[in-house]
Amino acid sequence: MVRAEDSVILSQQLLVSVAEQIKLPLLQIARLAELGHTDRVQATADSALQLLDNYVLAVRLNLEAELTPLALEPVSVSSVLYDVGTQLSEYAKGYGINLELNVAGRYGTVMAHRQGLQAALVSLGLSLIEALPAQESPQLTLQLATHRCRYGVVAGLYTDTERLTGDVLKHGRRLHGASRQPLLNLTQNSGAGVFVADSLLQAMNLELKVSRHHRLFGLGAVLQPNNQLQLI
Amino acid sequence: MAHLIMIEPDRVLAETYREACVRAGHSLVPCASAQAAILAADQKTPDAVIVELQLIQHSGIEFLYEFRSYPEWQHIPVIIHSVVSPAEFADNWELFKQQAGISRYLYKPHTTLKELLATVDGVLQPA
Repeated sequence: MVRAEDSVILSQQLLVSVAEQIKLPLLQIARLAELGHTDRVQATADSALQLLDNYVLAVRLNLEAELTPLALEPVSVSSVLYDVGTQLSEYAKGYGINLELNVAGRYGTVMAHRQGLQAALVSLGLSLIEALPAQESPQLTLQLATHRCRYGVVAGLYTDTERLTGDVLKHGRRLHGASRQPLLNLTQNSGAGVFVADSLLQAMNLELKVSRHHRLFGLGAVLQPNNQLQLI
Repeated sequence: MAHLIMIEPDRVLAETYREACVRAGHSLVPCASAQAAILAADQKTPDAVIVELQLIQHSGIEFLYEFRSYPEWQHIPVIIHSVVSPAEFADNWELFKQQAGISRYLYKPHTTLKELLATVDGVLQPA
C-alpha cells in the first residue's frame, strides 16, 4: 500500500506534469484563434478537458485505493477500446493520424474499473497522438489493439516507432517530477498522459507495460481475465 | 519574401505558424526534429531559423552547435521560440546566447503570431 505522504508527492509530481502538458492545447487554441480557425479549437479544448478529467480521476482512485482496494468489475476489453477510439478520433484527425481498431479474437472480460481503464487508455492515446508526427514514423497510424500474453490480456496503443522501448518507460518513471521532458525519446512534452495512465492503472493494481503487437511497438495495460465468467 | 526554417515538434502548431508566415509573405519549412532542419537547410539556405529547444532525441541546443559548425550558416539569424523559459538558463544565458549566435529569445506561450512575425522582420532587417 502507498503511504499517504508518498501519494501526496506523487500527485504533486503528476500535477506539475499535467500543468506543463496543458500548456500545449492552450497554446494551440490561442494561436488557432489568432488565425481565425475557431472551427479547429473544439477538438483541442476537448483533449485538454479529457486530460484534466483523467488526472482528477487518477488522484481520486488512488486516494480511494489507499483506504481499501478498489472494487473491480468484469469489463469487456473490446468495448473499452471501441469507446477509446471514439473519444480519440477527432484529436487524431487534427494530427493527421489514422486510428485503427484491432480487436479481432475473443478475449472475454477482464477485471478492471471501467471508467479508470478507459481514462488510462485515452490518456495514453493523447500522448502518443501528439508525439507520433515528431517521431518521423513512416506511417502515421495508431492501432488500438488487444492480445493475450503470459501475464494476462494486454490492451494498448501501438505504432511503428522503434523508439518505444522498455527503457523509455523505466527512465521516464525515474525522471518523472524531476525533468521537464522525462520520456526523452518518446515525446517532446511532459508526457503527462502516460503518467496519468500509469497512475490510474496503479490504483487498480494493474501495470502499464511497453509491449509489442505483431510488428508494432506500444504501451498497454496488463489486465487479468475474469476466469469465473469464462467458465460459465 | 524570406525563406524560414522552423523546428517545431508539434504538428498542429507547426501548421499554424506556417500558415501565419505564408500570410505575411514568407515561406516556412516546418521541421519536427533537429536532423530534419539540418537537411532542410542543406537543401535551401534559410534567411532565418526559428528553433524550439525541447525536442525528441536531439535538443535545439544540439542543433545550434551543429548548425553553427558550418561556416556558410554562421551568420544566419536564429530566433529561439521555445516552451523553455529563458529564466531557466540562469547565469548561463549570456554565454549560451553568445556561443550559439542567438538573435532573439521568445518564450512560446507568451508570444503571439504577430510578435513572432515582427521579430522575424526585425532580425531580417536589423536597424
